[in-house]
Amino acid sequence: MVQASSVEIAKVNKFYGPFHALKDIDLSIAPGKVTCLIGPSGSGKSTLLRCINFLEEYSSGEIRIDGQLIGYKTPGGAKMSGRDLRTMRRSIGMVFQQFNLWPHMTALENVAEGLRRVRGLSRTEAEARAAEALRKVGLGDRMANHPSRLSGGQQQRVAIARAIAMEPKLMLFDEPTSALDPELVGEVLNVMKALAAEGMTMVVVTHEMGFAAHVADRVAFMEKGELVAVDAPARILHQPEDPRIQAFLRTYHERNLF
Amino acid sequence: MDPMIFVQYSPILIRGFGLTILAWLLGTVFGMALGLVIALVQRYAPKPVTWVIQAYIEIVRGTPFLVQLFVLYYGGPMVGLRLDPLPAGIVGLTIYGSPYFAEIFRSGFRAVPHGQIEAARAIGMAEPAIVRRILLPLGLVSALPALVNFSIILTKETVILSIITVPELMYQVQRMSTETFRFLEGNFVLALFFWGLVEVISRFGRRIETRITRHLIERP
Ligand SMILES: Nc1ncnc2c1ncn2[C@@H]1O[C@H](COP(=O)(O)OP(=O)(O)O)[C@@H](O)[C@H]1O
Ligand SMILES: [Mg+2]
Repeated sequence: MVQASSVEIAKVNKFYGPFHALKDIDLSIAPGKVTCLIGPSGSGKSTLLRCINFLEEYSSGEIRIDGQLIGYKTPGGAKMSGRDLRTMRRSIGMVFQQFNLWPHMTALENVAEGLRRVRGLSRTEAEARAAEALRKVGLGDRMANHPSRLSGGQQQRVAIARAIAMEPKLMLFDEPTSALDPELVGEVLNVMKALAAEGMTMVVVTHEMGFAAHVADRVAFMEKGELVAVDAPARILHQPEDPRIQAFLRTYHERNLF
Repeated sequence: MDPMIFVQYSPILIRGFGLTILAWLLGTVFGMALGLVIALVQRYAPKPVTWVIQAYIEIVRGTPFLVQLFVLYYGGPMVGLRLDPLPAGIVGLTIYGSPYFAEIFRSGFRAVPHGQIEAARAIGMAEPAIVRRILLPLGLVSALPALVNFSIILTKETVILSIITVPELMYQVQRMSTETFRFLEGNFVLALFFWGLVEVISRFGRRIETRITRHLIERP
């Protein structure tokens, strides 16, 4: 079982110039829980996720990881130092839609890089741990491959290994399977399920309603920068009360009919 | 054409060519280094600093190399900068090339997908490590063809060093031409030597390119 973080998001707003991308977002996530963020494209899911590790600056409100404010020294105050931010980010893993592996490094080097440069481990030690993380995602036999020699599903699993090798207490996923061919989605979701079963706190932006239904503890629905509803998966996915969620699920189901 | 002229002048022509290569090599290496520093400063320094550097870039790119070299060599002593011809030529090439190299590096850095930088930030890597481990290696790969290309352009700028009496190839060819009144031979020598140099550089560039892009090409 991993040590897992809590996340508390309170009254968070985000502006891009005049554009109001996040509107008074409130969301708390208990340690070890999996929360899926769903909603139409452009609704602010990625923005919210990226505010959690401060890749995106939020304009007002508070985001706390294990009670500690991220990004700012005090709510609405000055930004926290780069060093403090990096310390907080060490325990937050992130997985991107486009994998974002470093193409000039092998799978093993991709995973070992953070252990060496951030955790300060020796090369041998870092590579031993990286190998362990790669075996965990089922890539023990692909460690010497460069990303260009891996399938999309394998690349995304390397990206997950890169994150979990740092022993995070919270994992953020931004549409981790959206760039994958359909037959490769399953292998990535399985790794994520295993991670959830270990008790990792996870926030997952996804269009995989099956994953949301079976793995998530709670599903949050966003639209136009608002968090419309947060509830048990069944209550969002099967008996939504809000007409916006009904409309979204209707288009989703229509798209998946053939 | 009189082949005997080549025999007679081959020692000074070869010495001249050696100096051409030396001036080009050092000017290119120093110019690239300065250009790299400029590109990094432009990326990370606060606005006012980047304005000053932008002004430098505009000035150097906006004036002919000949003028820059004159100012450096004949104007330098007025402000206490007294350089021999060869060092002045190398410094001149360095300054002349730096803004072009800086622009090449800048666009190389821009070609590195932002997501790959963000992935490094997300695991808590500090900016200097990101530059060293990700931005530089990947940016250099994108910049390489343009770097080689501009280095080739610089080979031909070295002929201007003859104006400040650096005894490089052009200088020696001019000497040969005026002493023998044979001009066709001189141009032949210039063409041959520069063609050879450019050929070597571009082959070398392609070799490096194939080497460093070996793992980057999609072959799933
Ligand atoms: N860097 C940016 N500058 C301006 N607008 C942005 C930027 N990033 C996102 N947006 C806008 O914010 C809104 C939410 O974007 P995003 O969070 O990416 O949506 P989602 O992930 O739900 O598809 C979109 O309308 C998008 O155009
Ligand atoms: Mg998104």
